[in-house]
Amino acid sequence: MAQISLPKNSEVKKGKYFEDKTGSKNLRKVNIYRWDPSTEENPRIDTYEVDMDNCPSKVLDILNKIKNEIDPTLAYRRSCAHGVCGSCAMNMGGKNGLACTTPHAEIDGDIDIYPLPHLKVKRDLIGDLDGLYKQYQSIEPWLKNNSTKQTTEIYQSKEDRAKLDGAYECIMCACCSTSCPSYWWNGDKYLGPAVLLQAYRWIIDSRDEERKARLKKVADELKLYRCHTILNCTNACPKGLNPAKAIAEIKKMLATANV
Amino acid sequence: MENKPLSPHIQIYKWHISSLVSISHRITGIINILAITLMCIWFALILFGESNYEIIKIFLQTFVGKFILIGITWSFSFQMLSEIRHLIMDLGYGFDLKVTKITGLLVIFGSLILTILIYLIGRGLN
Repeated sequence: MAQISLPKNSEVKKGKYFEDKTGSKNLRKVNIYRWDPSTEENPRIDTYEVDMDNCPSKVLDILNKIKNEIDPTLAYRRSCAHGVCGSCAMNMGGKNGLACTTPHAEIDGDIDIYPLPHLKVKRDLIGDLDGLYKQYQSIEPWLKNNSTKQTTEIYQSKEDRAKLDGAYECIMCACCSTSCPSYWWNGDKYLGPAVLLQAYRWIIDSRDEERKARLKKVADELKLYRCHTILNCTNACPKGLNPAKAIAEIKKMLATANV
Repeated sequence: MENKPLSPHIQIYKWHISSLVSISHRITGIINILAITLMCIWFALILFGESNYEIIKIFLQTFVGKFILIGITWSFSFQMLSEIRHLIMDLGYGFDLKVTKITGLLVIFGSLILTILIYLIGRGLN
């Protein structure tokens, strides 16, 4: 059963307030979720006044500015800063996305930054994605070809290759899966949009010989059919992909094929 | 280390048209089940005599009664249109973000228009 409210140890308290010291006139308030694993305290929201005159355009720039100039204790994941690695996935202004590609100008009012929703928090904005990676592993995301004699590359027509467009670009940032209410309530069993998009990517790959077995594996009330087309996933995807459509395609394949 | 907090989810996540239509679909589904049960009881009561019919009629003409009737009409209208939307999606169409927004709005406004239409037709028949 879905638990709507947060457990006692997860209730968010009011935190510290960092007043601006630069004297800038162009300030924005940034509210950030903080949790320190070394204390017994509950998570809190710290508020920072940030000088926007000297801050580049993305949310990640704000976080870097806070960490460098205001509060070095702030912890978050980031790496490439170009929307390719998927490290800085978080919830900004109530929507999941990559901090490095989300312009802060798109967020009205105070900027609220939370970790990806419904994850065990490791520290501050860092959520535990181990469960998702295990599920990713469970769909065996690699090419399966039973031929042992083939020594050359396996050819693929342009049409067959085009089927992978919109699926192979996924960077596994988990924005979609952690935006999905079905994944919040049933994340232990339901595979979630990110993993199902990858399942789809291998099911439709013309070079893969395990199509039927893959379909059979994913055909499960909880693994697949917990998708109720809420479409939070497609709305959240920072790469503009459509996991909801991929899930619908898998359902359609299962309904039409004799698996 | 077992005391890791759970990050906020439904408390902070922003609603959009598709998620609103989806949750409303569930809520109207539950309302409809209750409504059908209620209607079965009404019809069964009518079988037991004319006086029952009169009581029900008086109740349905009160403000609360009308509210329930119009509410049920909307709930059925919404469920029907939303179900059509879901059926089209099950066929693999209408997943483009812009299209989902438009079909979502169609469901919301369509259900209101349908409610008014059914209400007017019902009055015309009376």
